[in-house]
Amino acid sequence: MFRSIVAVGTIIALAACATANKVRQIDRLESVGENPRILIMEPDIKYYLLTVSGVPEPHAEWTAAARDNFANALKAYADERGTEVVMITDSNQLGSAEIEYSKLHAAVGLTIQLNYFGEARLPSKEGEFDWSLGPGVAEIGEKYNADYALFSYYRDYQASGGRVAFAVLAAVAGVGMSTGWEKGFASLVDLKTGDIVWFNIVHSNAGELRDEQGARMIVATMFANMPEK
Amino acid sequence: MNTCRHLIFVLILLLSGALAAESADIEPKIPPGYTPEKGDDEQGLWMEVDDYEKAVRASALLVDDADLNNYVREAACRVAGEYCGDLRIYVIRNPGFNASMTPNGMMQVWTGLLLRVSSEDELAAVLGHELAHYTRLHTLDRLRRIKVSLAAGSLVDFGLIVLAGVPIPVGQMTAVADAMAFSREQEEEADLLGVRFMADSDYDPHASYRVWNMLVDEEAKASAKRQKPGVFNKTHPDPAKRAETLVRYVSERYGTTRADDIGRERHVEMLDRHYMMLMEDQIDTNRFGRTQAMLEKHEQIGVNGGLVDFFYGEMYRQRGQAGDKEKAKNAYARAIERGDPPPLTYRNLGYLNLKEGDIEQARHNFSQYLLLSPDATDRKMIQFYLQES
Repeated sequence: MFRSIVAVGTIIALAACATANKVRQIDRLESVGENPRILIMEPDIKYYLLTVSGVPEPHAEWTAAARDNFANALKAYADERGTEVVMITDSNQLGSAEIEYSKLHAAVGLTIQLNYFGEARLPSKEGEFDWSLGPGVAEIGEKYNADYALFSYYRDYQASGGRVAFAVLAAVAGVGMSTGWEKGFASLVDLKTGDIVWFNIVHSNAGELRDEQGARMIVATMFANMPEK
Repeated sequence: MNTCRHLIFVLILLLSGALAAESADIEPKIPPGYTPEKGDDEQGLWMEVDDYEKAVRASALLVDDADLNNYVREAACRVAGEYCGDLRIYVIRNPGFNASMTPNGMMQVWTGLLLRVSSEDELAAVLGHELAHYTRLHTLDRLRRIKVSLAAGSLVDFGLIVLAGVPIPVGQMTAVADAMAFSREQEEEADLLGVRFMADSDYDPHASYRVWNMLVDEEAKASAKRQKPGVFNKTHPDPAKRAETLVRYVSERYGTTRADDIGRERHVEMLDRHYMMLMEDQIDTNRFGRTQAMLEKHEQIGVNGGLVDFFYGEMYRQRGQAGDKEKAKNAYARAIERGDPPPLTYRNLGYLNLKEGDIEQARHNFSQYLLLSPDATDRKMIQFYLQES
């Protein structure tokens, strides 16, 4: 019995732990113009339903709500701080560069998570943070007349009722089983060099993008400490 | 936890699927213009593939040539009939054999498919097959099936853990095997429905098995054979068996093959127009046995001989085995004899001449090249050779 209580406790603890990892390479935003302009890249957000066996199922409604709430909260947050942002409003008008750099950002961000903050740190980096999307990204800066681009990535796996029941059953037998998780990260990219000048990871318990209030919480956690002008 | 009962459940799932494939007439499950219900797992699936399509649209490998796209689109639309409006076609620059379709109507056609089929009818056979997957909601069914069988499998495994105290993933392994068997059934189903789409749109249903025979033939001629069957072979039935089933089915239902050659002619005309781009990618694979099988077939179906000979030359030149230099020179010479060879024939023959120290021939061929390709990007390089030699 004791073993199962520990197992249940572990699940709850795992679900509740909230950590933030950030890297800040610059103290303030710089611009050739008067005000630094930040281009908000289309956020890469997805919600999944975690089914009994652990197969995640993409959830369209949750994802659509999360994308809307996140974009609104981000815009409000920027306005509050007086940051000049450029929003891409029509995702159908995105060019190849915007789409491909968003994909690249997801790949680089996941690598940073694993190889800088995570289990597999790269010894030869000697703790140096020098990740970059490459200078080719300048193309986007010119297109939108922006100095920086803000990329965000977020994944949320919500356990189905069946999955939770199975996890509880498994916990009783002493087997730990995940009941969902969420994680996200954001990067501020210098559009002249492509270098990631600021990076932040949010884990569980940062909020819930499917409702407006939760989205505001996540945005506040995610972008706290981002350099200002 | 009754482990046995769950194992039996999984076995029943396996058996019921196997029996379903025997049913006679396979109908599309969705009407033209279909979109999923709101709040369904299907809507989530569409969201995922819509995102995927966005990435495909931005792909650097997308072929933007209008003529080539039109050719594929016309064949796809004709075989799709009233489903034409649901299709979005992307021709992808990849010399492999593949076409695929996602549940939202995105159809991807690799250029390697165009190199391998001998007629528009054979192209339509592959596209009709993909369309059959689409109209039968195969991706969705497969995902739902996996979800159920993996859930059942997880319960089996869980029971085994409780019983044995250590993880024994029998349930999950059974689920994976089941998914592959289910996929093979879907392939058989799509073969048969695809044939019907072909017949309904006035393509020759007999082209369906010729595609599989061609694949068997290419595999036999490959210099480096697959050591173990890949995922394709586990999720798809054996091509020779598919051809056998289709020969029987098509002959019984639709009688003999068409007498005219329109489909082949149209395909060969398209190949003639785009051969340089299409074959260049195949040459780059360095799979010489397969390339040779392709060239032999192109010769046989009537692709411009100068183009085919040029690529024989390219194949030998790049393979570089004993005697290949001679073979390459002969192939280039044949292309030139036929008249109107691709200008690159002269340049590449010139390089071979230069390597052999035949300066006079090299100069002649390099000059011919520049004459025929005044805007060549390597003009300066060739002029340098002309001056130095």
